[in-house]
Amino acid sequence: MEANDSEFYKKIGFLCGIEVHQRLATKEKLFCSCSTGMPPLSEKPIASIRRHQRAVAGELGSVDLSAQYEEFKDREFTYNIYGDNTCLVEIDEEPPHELNKEALSLALAFSKSLSMEIIDEFQVMRKSVVDGSDPSAFQRTILIGLNGSITTPEGLKVMVQKLFLEEESSGIESSSENSIVYNTDRLGIPLVEIDTDPYIPTPAAAKSVALAIGMLLRISGGVQRGLGTIRQDVNVSIRGGARAEIKGLQELDLMDKFIMNEITRQMKLLEIKDELKQRNPKIHTPKDITEIFADTSVKIIKTQLAKNGAVAGFRLEGFSGLLGKEVNPDRRLGSEISDYAKAAGVHGIIHSDENLDRYGFSDDEKANISKALGLGKNDAFILIAGQKSQAMKAASLAVGRAEACMEGIPLETRGVANTDLCTTRFLRPLPTGSRMYPETDVKPIGATKEMLDSATANAPDSAKEHGRLKAQLSSAALADSMLLSPRLGLYKRVASSLKIDSSFVANILLQKFTELKRSGFDVDSIPEASVMDVFSQYADGSITKQAVDELLKALSSGKRDVPGLVRELKLERIRGEKLLDLVNSTTKEAKSGQPDEVRRLIMSKYRLNVDGSELNEMLLGEAKT
Amino acid sequence: MYSEEIQKLLDKNGIKVGDQIMLSKGATQLEGELMPKANIGGKDTVIIKMKDGYNVGIKLTSDLKIEKLSSGVANIGSFPKVALKHDKSAPNVTLIYTGGTIGSRVDYETGGVSMLLKPEELLYKVPEIQDIANISVDMLMSVASEDLSYMEWVKIAESVTKAFNNGARGVIITMGTDAMHYTAAALSFMLRNLDGPVVITGAQRSSDRGSSDGFINLVSATRLAAFSDIAEVGICMHEQSSDGRCIFIRGVKARKMHTSRRDAFRPINDKPMAYVDKNGSISYSKGYNKAEAKKPSTLELKTKFDPKVALVKVYPNSDPKIIDFYIREGYNGIIIEGTGLGHAPVSTKHDEFMWLPHIKNALDSGLIVGMTSQCLYGRVHPNVYKNLRLLSNLGVIYCEDMMPEVAQIKLCWLLGNYGKEKAKSMLGSNIAGEIHRRLEFDEFLV
Repeated sequence: MEANDSEFYKKIGFLCGIEVHQRLATKEKLFCSCSTGMPPLSEKPIASIRRHQRAVAGELGSVDLSAQYEEFKDREFTYNIYGDNTCLVEIDEEPPHELNKEALSLALAFSKSLSMEIIDEFQVMRKSVVDGSDPSAFQRTILIGLNGSITTPEGLKVMVQKLFLEEESSGIESSSENSIVYNTDRLGIPLVEIDTDPYIPTPAAAKSVALAIGMLLRISGGVQRGLGTIRQDVNVSIRGGARAEIKGLQELDLMDKFIMNEITRQMKLLEIKDELKQRNPKIHTPKDITEIFADTSVKIIKTQLAKNGAVAGFRLEGFSGLLGKEVNPDRRLGSEISDYAKAAGVHGIIHSDENLDRYGFSDDEKANISKALGLGKNDAFILIAGQKSQAMKAASLAVGRAEACMEGIPLETRGVANTDLCTTRFLRPLPTGSRMYPETDVKPIGATKEMLDSATANAPDSAKEHGRLKAQLSSAALADSMLLSPRLGLYKRVASSLKIDSSFVANILLQKFTELKRSGFDVDSIPEASVMDVFSQYADGSITKQAVDELLKALSSGKRDVPGLVRELKLERIRGEKLLDLVNSTTKEAKSGQPDEVRRLIMSKYRLNVDGSELNEMLLGEAKT
Repeated sequence: MYSEEIQKLLDKNGIKVGDQIMLSKGATQLEGELMPKANIGGKDTVIIKMKDGYNVGIKLTSDLKIEKLSSGVANIGSFPKVALKHDKSAPNVTLIYTGGTIGSRVDYETGGVSMLLKPEELLYKVPEIQDIANISVDMLMSVASEDLSYMEWVKIAESVTKAFNNGARGVIITMGTDAMHYTAAALSFMLRNLDGPVVITGAQRSSDRGSSDGFINLVSATRLAAFSDIAEVGICMHEQSSDGRCIFIRGVKARKMHTSRRDAFRPINDKPMAYVDKNGSISYSKGYNKAEAKKPSTLELKTKFDPKVALVKVYPNSDPKIIDFYIREGYNGIIIEGTGLGHAPVSTKHDEFMWLPHIKNALDSGLIVGMTSQCLYGRVHPNVYKNLRLLSNLGVIYCEDMMPEVAQIKLCWLLGNYGKEKAKSMLGSNIAGEIHRRLEFDEFLV
């Protein structure tokens, strides 16, 4: 499979659309006045609260399937609360404030640059999220624009169906069997979601569309940058298959590989379906077969039984050999079924296509399993160990997934299983429309003429931006790379707010950053505010060009206080009178007293503190007098 | 309601709310379900729910076209229900439904949250309470708590009595939270010789969201009604912002202390009577009235109520002539929310701010005047300062550690049931746990 073989993708009925989620760089959150800047990793939460959630009926009376499913998991959610980043609104203890106008105007500007039709009256909706990532059990979201398009640098035009303005969810701190700990610092940061139509022709094109959308957003200067501030979801299906939504791809480079693996997975599952058609398969009801394992030496079972646990097992008639069939690198049909079982809180499943001897099953046990489940030679079986109710719950979920093999492929939301292998795993069933209901605490907002005019004026335009960069920067090549750079926004902020040579800034942000990254410095972790501080120290003459490098190195190890670092690393620039004193004293000490020697002596000692050109001027002046 | 023009357009095309429609305007074409129009946002906006669940508003313009695709299944506003079970072996508990956030849902008229839920719908969300107790539902009314008057309190008290007389061992009352503590205080006085738990509960977050506190509050309230031996009226709500324990606060000592948090209800000058754990276990504080399961029920209703008692707050620069207004209006009592230990401005340098002559006027006109503190916590005292002595010498009754609103309700109830003279002597003594002779150290900011 090649990422750009459009004939092949046409043949298999490939459908693919992407969703780009990008955090906005507004001052405040979408529905409250909390800071959108993330606290340093070292900051401890000021408090934590614990909550439970339930599925509730939506506006049209039905409870959404995927919401119900998550509830099934019976989890407790802990929310960490941060001083400047969490108020009562995020933790669902106070109604939302008014919609953030700055965020709305950015979303409108993006809609305009994507040539979208803008909705007349924005209705704030609640989208049920019962994975706990929102303490209110819903995410607020607004449909802003419809039916636009974007053209990639390769000239491919793709329809952009929808643009939403919504709240960022909480970040997962940790998760265990029955509880998840979330950080609420990022919860409620404004986010735009941009969805294309499902007709992106190839996996390679999907990657290129994602790049083009990302560039347009960055040009606006109104978006956050850094790890996790932009992420892509991909929807993929092939003829006869089913839509799978792969969530949270952060490495754009791997997007095409993930898509190709999803295609393979669906093809393999269709092969299994076809094979099953020949076999007259049937999934039997799970049984409690704990008693077989009274004296077992199978470790997984033994530990559960020691905790008063149970073993559930069921027969998959006609499935012999299929559970072990590989559907993706290092993933078999058994792994697909196991994902479902795990949702009930068990560690996984044991199935008949695995090496049972390695688990430690005795021959007696194997015979007893066969007897208890009534296995024939074309059959397979699945065992699940856990607390009794948990094991039975897990078994019924596994039965559901196994039954789906005969129908084809279930509609699923999937997440990354293994980044290196570019494989995914089942997260939950695909949500449906019934998860949406109106946010009654916020009034609908009409799109006014002023809003739309200002959106048109502020719509990011990549051609114009390129022109501006070319005019500012010394070389066209530098302008080209700056346009594509994730640091474009930062560049624009530095260039517009400080009196500083634009090309110097661009060179630092492009070449210097790449160079430092290659040498192992984690420059991506430096917050924009700190980079800004460095340039401002340089702009007001407090440090030299050479000191900029040193500061970036120090900042990439997690330090934040730039003025402090300047003192600590002794990077204060020596200039004016002080430099003159230094020149005079060095001249006296120097053997020859010639400017060249003085320069060499000073620079060998004060390379980071002395600006070469200022020193030259001074030496030339000295020489003249 | 849609504007007349939109309604005309809909009628012309035979379109009703809930129908699948195609809406076109310029290049825009939208397919979806026609939603009812809430009375917020622009009136000239058609609301359509698209397949992905999003509502969008499209303004009426001359080029707006609406086409009907198919008739809707009339399911907007319908709600899944649960069958009511009757397990005779479980403790009998009556749930009296009066309205409030706990039974609220989206209202398309106002765009806000309304209180229309049927009890079967309420139980649908919390089916497990039917496994705890044999629940009978009394769908008494659907009124927001701040709209309840003493006449509704009487109805609720009568329903509680009926429930106990019909064999309930405990009663749950679900209601709005805003004025919940007023109702709780009123019921505490009206229900004399109570012999079982009366548990008032509600929700700070509407139950149309999965995070509602109402689910756990209702489950905990059911456990208290079904298993506790407390023979008092109380409020059962979240102890903390976390979904952990619920607390059961004596009705005359409970107060809503936050506009929106789950743990808004706190005991004032008191500790919770009991705690209900998430796992269902109940732990008790000392000093509550114990139920004795007397047969027949000893419950006695005293529901007369004289609403002509004012609650007046003093503050710097406050105009004492407000007292004269109440005298003229024929009021029979005034509870003053004083400062600190129970002060009102009585020795001011400026006559217009001097409350003393006006209070004297009220007392001379036969009104009962009670003094409480806007500090809420602590006891008022008639003798510590000169100004206090001036007031108490006049005949103002110092209401001990009673909260202002409890004193007000108590005086209304006393005047209604016992007449002026007795009311005057009873205001300062304990009837339903509203006055504690001892204030313990750990009863502050609980």
